Amino acid sequence: MIEASNLTKIYNQGKQYEVQAVTDANLVAKSGAITVLVGPSGCGKTTLMSMIGQLLTPTKGRVLVENEDITSLSDGWKAVFRRKNVGFVFQHINLLANLNAIENVMIPLLCHDVDPAKFRQPALQLLEQLGLGERAFFRVEQLSGGQQQRVAVARALITEPKIIIADEPLTFVDEESAKTITDFFSKLRDEGKTILISTHASNLAKLADKTYSMKDGRILN
Amino acid sequence: MKRRFINLLNYAWSCIQRYRVRTIVILVCLAIAAALFSSVSFLKDGLVKEGELSLKYAPDLTVQGISAGRQTFIERRYAGIIQTIPGVRTVAERIWGYGNIGNTLLVIVGVDLENKAVNLATAYPLESGSFLDSQYNNTVVIGKAVADLIGAKVGNVLTILTESNQAQQYDVIGVFNSESSIYSADMILMNKNDARIFFDVPEDKVTDLLVYTKDVAILYYEAQVNYVAREISELPNIRVLTKDVLLRAQETTYGARSGFFSIVWYVVLISVAIVAFNQTVVVGHESKFEVGLLKALGFSTSDVIQIRLIESAILGTIAGSIGLAGGILYDTVLNAPVLRDFMLGWAVLYPNFVVPTYISAQTVLLTYVITIVPLLFATVIPSWINATVDPDIAMRGAKA
Repeated sequence: MIEASNLTKIYNQGKQYEVQAVTDANLVAKSGAITVLVGPSGCGKTTLMSMIGQLLTPTKGRVLVENEDITSLSDGWKAVFRRKNVGFVFQHINLLANLNAIENVMIPLLCHDVDPAKFRQPALQLLEQLGLGERAFFRVEQLSGGQQQRVAVARALITEPKIIIADEPLTFVDEESAKTITDFFSKLRDEGKTILISTHASNLAKLADKTYSMKDGRILN
Repeated sequence: MKRRFINLLNYAWSCIQRYRVRTIVILVCLAIAAALFSSVSFLKDGLVKEGELSLKYAPDLTVQGISAGRQTFIERRYAGIIQTIPGVRTVAERIWGYGNIGNTLLVIVGVDLENKAVNLATAYPLESGSFLDSQYNNTVVIGKAVADLIGAKVGNVLTILTESNQAQQYDVIGVFNSESSIYSADMILMNKNDARIFFDVPEDKVTDLLVYTKDVAILYYEAQVNYVAREISELPNIRVLTKDVLLRAQETTYGARSGFFSIVWYVVLISVAIVAFNQTVVVGHESKFEVGLLKALGFSTSDVIQIRLIESAILGTIAGSIGLAGGILYDTVLNAPVLRDFMLGWAVLYPNFVVPTYISAQTVLLTYVITIVPLLFATVIPSWINATVDPDIAMRGAKA
């Protein structure tokens, strides 16, 4: 379970262009459940998701994961936390160009003390489950936006993390890919994963076990 | 941990392949710098080694006359005085100077063939013909480069203008071995009496006196030479040159010449560092995003820095190796065009002369160090800066 309390992020604090992106956000994401953040563009969803995933240091507040305060961890231990516990799916997909689909999926394994070759079959299986079995060896540039996002989902799952953080995963995705990804998140929930999603998409929002609405950097409910 | 390191190494290798333009630019620039540095160093080391070899047969002390602070002829009577100093085995006379064949400057050396205590034939190994004999006048042994220059061989007659502008003919009776080092390459060796006539040297004078000390245990050699040198120094208007002084003079000459190229090399190296840094900045947008992404995927700051360190080390090693190979080929196969003329000071002479090259482990190691280290600074520092910010900031900053 993830508990975020009083999370606040102020960019350029004390400077001329100070921006308070998130203010005192409180949120609980339970294990085996899908927690969804909804809200208009620019309301602070991505910043909040990044703070929860330890991609961004909060100005104030803390995040507890299974009652452990992960905001107080050092940079190195935060990396270890992300490596062992979190799989990210980004709005802008963020695959590495000039690599093929399966190579992208296997990148997170490179910072683990394992032989990536042994994970080739699981990576292929993940891509097959996401409908990309035949395109596993296509270069990123040869895939559509929807296919790329499905590769990104496979990449987030290759290390079998307990927590999935997906920021607007359906933004640049076609209908077919959106359905595949939505179904996949549903399956992951059944496996007991803690899933946190920010989205505009109604079909993804419908999956939510708990929905939080955001506006102007604040959680409304 | 070992497996993890192999993973990071594989990733670094994939980065080298993916950032193709940066890789090529850095490799080319760095390889040129390494080739320039190594070729100059190998050649300089070769020349110094050659100098050491030539001094192997050199006299222990060379005594020259000084007048108004400049070198002049020395009186022959000093030979008798020096001969009486304890520790002196023998004193030989030598007359030498420069002469011209066409526009080419040559060294003409007249040796003391009457002094049987000095085995000159050992010092000057021949490729063909025979060595000088005190019984025959107007005979010469010529250097390989001289032979190549004028197309002379044993049996030919050589005509050279003397100091008094007389055309003097000499029979070529021998040609020095091409590997008998640089000092004999541009040399015409004749007997002392012929040289005296050639340079119009007064009967009671010679250019220098060559002092050979007695054979002693190596432990006492330096003390003996120093003692003899001190004693000789008591004589008026002379200077004494030891082997060490001659070697240092050679090192200084070649060191200064290679120093010039070192400056060129530094300029190239700085350019490379700037190019590498520039390339890092150019791909910085992409690189910054990648650093942020890697950290989001679980890589730590030290992992990212390790990747860049490995990448730079691989690039620097490849570039250093290519440069070294280029430097060796340039010196040994191409015979160091341009550089040879500059380092030896011979602009026209010796198209076929093989320059001495000495490939030392020290120079090889130094080449690698100086190709890898600047690259590490140029690429690792920007990555380290990127890696110390939050992954979200790094990724967003790259997208901005």
